[in-house]
Amino acid sequence: MTAVIETRNLSKWYGNVLGLSDVSLGIEPGITGLLGPNGAGKSTFMKLLTGQLKPNIGSVSIFGRRIWNDFGTFAKIGFCPESDAFYEEISGLEFLTGLLSFHGFSKAEVRARAAKALDIVGLTGDKDRKIRGYSRGMRQRVKFAQAIAHDPEIIILDEPLSGLDPLGKRKLIHLIKDYRDQGRTVLVSSHVLPEIEAMTSHIILIHQGKILAQGDIHYIRDLIEAHPHVISIKCGDPRGLAAKFVNEPYVLKILFGSSGDSLVVETHKRDAFFGRLNQVVLESALRVEEITSPDDNLQAVFDYLVGK
Amino acid sequence: MATIREKGYSHWDGALVERKLPWWPITRTGIQLAFRRKHFKFFFSVSFLPAVVFLVGIYISERIEDFKFMIQGSENLIKINPAFFKTYFTNDFLLFMMVMLLVFSGAGLIADDLKHNALQLYFSRPIDKKDYFLGKAAVIFFFILALTLVPGLVLFVMKLVFSGNFKLLTSYPWLLPAIIGYSALLTVFFAFYTLLLSALSKNRRYVTILIFAIYIFSDVVYGITFGIFRSPYVALFSLKANFQQAGAVIFGQRLPYAYPGYLSFLVLFGICAVSAAVLHRRIRGVEVIK
Repeated sequence: MTAVIETRNLSKWYGNVLGLSDVSLGIEPGITGLLGPNGAGKSTFMKLLTGQLKPNIGSVSIFGRRIWNDFGTFAKIGFCPESDAFYEEISGLEFLTGLLSFHGFSKAEVRARAAKALDIVGLTGDKDRKIRGYSRGMRQRVKFAQAIAHDPEIIILDEPLSGLDPLGKRKLIHLIKDYRDQGRTVLVSSHVLPEIEAMTSHIILIHQGKILAQGDIHYIRDLIEAHPHVISIKCGDPRGLAAKFVNEPYVLKILFGSSGDSLVVETHKRDAFFGRLNQVVLESALRVEEITSPDDNLQAVFDYLVGK
Repeated sequence: MATIREKGYSHWDGALVERKLPWWPITRTGIQLAFRRKHFKFFFSVSFLPAVVFLVGIYISERIEDFKFMIQGSENLIKINPAFFKTYFTNDFLLFMMVMLLVFSGAGLIADDLKHNALQLYFSRPIDKKDYFLGKAAVIFFFILALTLVPGLVLFVMKLVFSGNFKLLTSYPWLLPAIIGYSALLTVFFAFYTLLLSALSKNRRYVTILIFAIYIFSDVVYGITFGIFRSPYVALFSLKANFQQAGAVIFGQRLPYAYPGYLSFLVLFGICAVSAAVLHRRIRGVEVIK
């Protein structure tokens, strides 16, 4: 697949403060999660991608065209900012029609698109209510609606799930996945790692203005040699199982769970461990109830990479 | 292994309208919002009171015999000439009402966008900073021109209609350009003045106070400094005095203050230039550095 968004040596600073440093990457269609702590440079990165900021060094290309001052390309991007960006005195429908007017659609098309976008986010019944009276979740949804109303090929979402109730989150995640399935490119930032995990395993991890990692979360986890894999096994005879692994050179540590029915193994060769585990289970007819990898997730990767 | 996703959507194939006025949606929203403010319609209507009074004056001037009993000894007041128009454009009430309209319609123009971080919504769409400023300024243009150029032209035309001749036009051929020129001066100045103050704070209330206070305070400063120094030049501190001086120059009337009229133009354009520079710095892609 070719990258839809490409950055080359992208750098941005504000006076003495570094916003982003030498970022070169490509983002392909599908959902990509943008992760990083506060002040990492996520918003700067998104604003550079949406053409709101001019890079000090480097460039951003969308479909092969440089984004800065290219208004034709702006129309291909839908941006949902993190903060509330509303005139409180207008209705959701007026908010959308006002923003859609910038794109050059006819009046009828503007109205139709606004109505459709509000329908997609489930705000049809509240479209004529003033935004002042919207709940936090409704505000998030109307913000999302303005990002998709002009049918963009690239959707950039800055913390889109914050403020939504669990049901609202589920609906929005479903909607974002729909856009992915249509072949669009979605870039989502979030502080809440399970939210990103629920949408995608493809991430960009940004910290102190630099890209720490990009790619599939499990693949990235495998690349982190400094931290051994942690594998938890719940079974009927954890001590008997531990005895079979004590002499294996790739096993670094074995711990027993306090309830007495599990053990936690640390290994730097996960594939070798699982190969041997299969063998042991088959040979000894051991009843294994559960195998989990507590650190094979986004939180662990995030923590390892940012050095927590 | 990466998943290959096929493009499963198709784009709308209608023709996009090439927008000659990309800033118009901003202006339209600004005007709509102003009319939704409490009491705005009342203030807007009251602002036309001077125009109505001056229109009645024009009517009386053409029916002088009928109204002789009313205007004994005041005939000179309703002579329709450039002085009449200058009096309309520079009267204290009209200038005050303009400031009131700026408070209602202009205070939140940029302040609200800064408060809600709405600039990112604008600048991620096909408009640039120039369009943004124009859109916001056009809201001020709309209201100030509604109180200056529109009534000025109506008064001018009604004089021609009531008199049934073109004497006003032939006697004062520069009067029409003067009406347009002075209206443009007020409009451009008030646009810069309001946008500057609106860009200085995220709080609409502070901006409201600033718009009102600076206009009034500049006149107070003039009064105080004149009391101390007795110099006519201190009138340059007063926005109102500068408008009146510039108005007298444009309408070819005797200057109300004893200093060269061009100085008032310099003051007004100087404020516009400073405003433009400040606005250029304030309105940009904003990044919050914590």
